[in-house]
Amino acid sequence: MKGIWWKALGIILVLYSIIAGLLGEVPRLVILNETIRVLYYHVPMWFSMVAMMTISLVFSIRALGEKRGADLRASEFAQTGFLLATLGLLTGMVWARFTWGNFWTNDPKLNGTAVTMLIYLAYFVLRNSVEDPAKKARLAAVYNIFAFVMMIVFIGILPRMTDSLHPGNGGNPGFNQYDLNSDMRPIFYAAVLGWILIGTWISSLRIRYKSLSNEEHS
Amino acid sequence: MKAIFRVVQLNFQLEWSERRSYFSILIYVLSTVYLSNLVFNEILSPESWNAFFWVIFLFAAVQAAYRSFYFEADQRFLLYYGWVKPEHLILGKIIYNFFYLLAVALFTSGFFGFLMGFPIASPGAFITVLTLASLGFSSILTLVAAISAKAGNNPALPAILSIPLLYPQILTLSKLSIRSLTGFSWEINAQLLIVLALLALVSLLLSFLLFPYLWRD
Repeated sequence: MKGIWWKALGIILVLYSIIAGLLGEVPRLVILNETIRVLYYHVPMWFSMVAMMTISLVFSIRALGEKRGADLRASEFAQTGFLLATLGLLTGMVWARFTWGNFWTNDPKLNGTAVTMLIYLAYFVLRNSVEDPAKKARLAAVYNIFAFVMMIVFIGILPRMTDSLHPGNGGNPGFNQYDLNSDMRPIFYAAVLGWILIGTWISSLRIRYKSLSNEEHS
Repeated sequence: MKAIFRVVQLNFQLEWSERRSYFSILIYVLSTVYLSNLVFNEILSPESWNAFFWVIFLFAAVQAAYRSFYFEADQRFLLYYGWVKPEHLILGKIIYNFFYLLAVALFTSGFFGFLMGFPIASPGAFITVLTLASLGFSSILTLVAAISAKAGNNPALPAILSIPLLYPQILTLSKLSIRSLTGFSWEINAQLLIVLALLALVSLLLSFLLFPYLWRD
């Protein structure tokens, strides 16, 4: 994407979600209370992580067609996705400490996250163990496509088949269509979009940096 | 079809000529099962039986399938190259590994049961779960073996790459198999069985579609 407008939009949306998220009205729910505001800071991490991983998948598919530079892009977007996943995990852990009483529980969604992060760590290990760039591009692309499908199965399909402690699942009070009221919805969507734009920005900076340093080496 | 069958046959002949790979898996299973018998010096609850069994089987399966492209990376590669299509090769390897893993699974459960007791309430359901597990495992592990062979046969790589990919299956499997240990109802568990079969099919399809890209060099 060219131009500065989308970077500015990303910053404005994230700033808006931080300020309005702390000052805005939220519904009073038992157990959740004021921690419901974590919706603006925790959940967008997962949305933008999935967005980054999807972009990474698209570049991996293009890398299979021997498109130049696609592999670097796939890897950098996956790394940004990993960073967002780490942030999502940390914000979730702080929230869980105050709502569930523990930093870590064996909730299906937490397991899904842990496995997703392990899968992408394996992807980075695979990338580092191959020297030849053309071979690296192909092996990493094949693994990334497999990884993405398993991630979707793990975070999208399996949790729906079991109960979760997460708000909105299995009789927990929380963020379903009744609770996510009209005050919260615009801030939440702004945060999601803002973080996706910021993530894209981080990735594009890293891609430019890496491709410049590759040019210098060769 | 004929070509796929030839690949399966050739694989079996080549592996049989070097029997030590079969024996190494055999000894691996024997020693780990015996180890868990020594550590757990008592009758296991069905839950721990289940957990131990799947962990042992998982590592045996990773070991067994790891060898499926071990030699192909250098010499045998050229032999196959002009002779067989990549689609046929991967299907042949997956079928071969499916039977291999099923044999390993049956042997592991047999020996495990011999030492630790057989708390299996519905053997039919348990064998169905083992069959579906072997199918899903062989699809993923064969492709991962191909990736790690191409990446230079680093011995740690197959386990690192395959275990996270196998998690969705293992979780579903262990949930199903604990029910087959304590009493199984086909109606209630039909949904989970379908999920498991679909997971195996998706892995099979992905391996089939992606392998040709690994193959050309």
